[in-house]
Amino acid sequence: MKTGKMMTSKTMTNKAKTRAAAMVLVLLHGIIVFGGFIAPGEPASQNRDFPFVPPTRLHFVDAQGHFHLRPFVYQSVSRPEGLYEYEESRDQEYPIHLFVEGPKYKIAGLFLSSIHLFGVEAPAQIFLAGSDNYGRDQFSRILYGGRISLGAGLLATGISLSLGLLLGTISGFYGRWVDESVMRIAELFLVLPWLYLLLAVRAFLPLHISPVQTFFLLIAVIGSVGWARPARLVRGVVLSARTRKYVLASRGFGASDSYVLRRHVLPHTYGVLLTQAALLVPQYVIAEVTLSFLGLGLSEPLPSWGNLLANLQQYNVLVSYWWMFAPAMALVVFSLGYLALADAFHKRLQSVTV
Amino acid sequence: MKSIPIGRSSRDEIPRLLRVCGLSVKYGADGQALEAALRQLDLEISAGEVVGILGESGCGKSTLALSILGLLPADARVDGSILFRNEELLGMSEAQLRRIRGAKISLINQEPGLALSPVMRVGEQIAEVIGAHSGLKRKARKQEAEAMLRAVNLTNAGRICAAYPHQLSGGELHRVAIGQALACRPDLVIADEPTRSLDVIVQAEILGVLRNLKQKFGTALIFITHDPALLVGFADRVVVMYAGRAVEQGPSSRMFGRPLHPYTKGLLNLVARVPRRDGSAPAGLLPVIPGGPPYLEALTSGCAFEPRCSRKTEICQSEDPEELMPEAGHRVSCFHHGS
Repeated sequence: MKTGKMMTSKTMTNKAKTRAAAMVLVLLHGIIVFGGFIAPGEPASQNRDFPFVPPTRLHFVDAQGHFHLRPFVYQSVSRPEGLYEYEESRDQEYPIHLFVEGPKYKIAGLFLSSIHLFGVEAPAQIFLAGSDNYGRDQFSRILYGGRISLGAGLLATGISLSLGLLLGTISGFYGRWVDESVMRIAELFLVLPWLYLLLAVRAFLPLHISPVQTFFLLIAVIGSVGWARPARLVRGVVLSARTRKYVLASRGFGASDSYVLRRHVLPHTYGVLLTQAALLVPQYVIAEVTLSFLGLGLSEPLPSWGNLLANLQQYNVLVSYWWMFAPAMALVVFSLGYLALADAFHKRLQSVTV
Repeated sequence: MKSIPIGRSSRDEIPRLLRVCGLSVKYGADGQALEAALRQLDLEISAGEVVGILGESGCGKSTLALSILGLLPADARVDGSILFRNEELLGMSEAQLRRIRGAKISLINQEPGLALSPVMRVGEQIAEVIGAHSGLKRKARKQEAEAMLRAVNLTNAGRICAAYPHQLSGGELHRVAIGQALACRPDLVIADEPTRSLDVIVQAEILGVLRNLKQKFGTALIFITHDPALLVGFADRVVVMYAGRAVEQGPSSRMFGRPLHPYTKGLLNLVARVPRRDGSAPAGLLPVIPGGPPYLEALTSGCAFEPRCSRKTEICQSEDPEELMPEAGHRVSCFHHGS
């Protein structure tokens, strides 16, 4: 009785953890999908008078000591004596307004709109995560860059899992020489250093290809290299599932291969696929970031987290402008969210294994 | 085709539902030593007949069931012939076999708890069998499944239809398995130890259900068991298997009344007897058959039962006994069946 109770409380915490991780991820993805609405500016619009502006501070108390319920900002002006040094001009407060008109964008990539979540009146600017060397708003760039980085991660995961599911199922279900050959190829892919493979693939292609082509090339290569691990896991599950007594029994009642696969074998793989998906997405996002960081991914001015972080390759940026690390923070939060989800899935899977 | 054993030609006029001739099954991958599971097995069953197959574990009973359905593992080598309604089942294409399995020949599994998918409702699993062999619509299938559950004496068919296997008791599961096997009114049902792991009262109920259904649908039944007591009064004919062979077969009245093979006699002696009226217990311990079934790959010449036989002579060691028919319909493979 006692152990039973402990068991339930344990599964409850795991359930709560799954829910929390899932909720955080849904929120973060929502922010990325509705990035155009949340971002105050355009990712590519430059403001050459304001390079490397530190994050704008939000104020509640003005110079006279009065408290304002609505936060406000001061205009940043460059200090005359220093290069890239700024101070707040305290002459006028610029309160932050919600749902303001701004540059046009598409809501979730579908409907044209120009309403933004927040903004301040010109000439003040709001740089929540500072600005970069061209004076572009880094917060907006992180949101728009997230679309590309996460999109790449999700699509590549889709490719890997589909390939892994297909090949793993064939391998585990039909066995014999099919199994042998697929698994040997899988091992080859497992030992393949994907980074160098990507370098090689990139080297074979023309120097200038369009960003869209680069994007899909990147996804195709990352996704198709990573099929081996999910394929091996799926194969193991299929191997065990197809020897179940009820599979033999259903064959005895006239079930076909496709029926057995559909009703008795593939449902067993969903848990493994889910866990793998939660592990692969952050891994592939990081892969995209790495490639873009090395200049093999998308090229400027398109923002991606790797592109944004590539600024840190310059020493002065690395040591002077701490806010340029902000995309890394986004990456860390995302990865941790996904890993927590994968962990929760894994625990849940273990607790219900039949 | 193998040469037809003795006494066969005269029986050809009667149409048989299933005829197994010289069936041999060996297991083993290429280049490895083959392990025999069935050796030259002959078996016949007519429509509506109940044939009991009796034998210890490991004598090939389940292999026989699986080979009739064509469900042996990929490394099995099968020889001989299995005729079902004069159609050869061995070498039949998978698609043709699929149309027979479940619809014409059906299998009741040893452990229905494992033979039912744990994640599908029981009613759905029966309905799927019906759907696989008929063009019935979803709703009609469901009704048919429920009717089938009522036919196996499950009173609360609606509840059981909606239940998952783990929610049912052992006896209920066995009935569900029987209902599933009979859902398409097959001509032949193979029951592979259908009462295993049940207590005697539930066993008796299950036997009653099988008997009812047999009468209702006119299904022929192959009843595989190691307990002779289950076959008494139920089986029309009994086949005793030993080391992958049928060592004796005949009408059950003869088999139980006057068994000829020493192995059959040994098995029948194992059935516990009720104390006599005067209170005295039946004499002492049950007379066991010494030793265990042989490893089939280590079989040498001579009768397979010879090492355990109480009546062996020299000839048993050197020669394999041929099948003899001392009485009509009663066949035995033993040199000393008369003694």
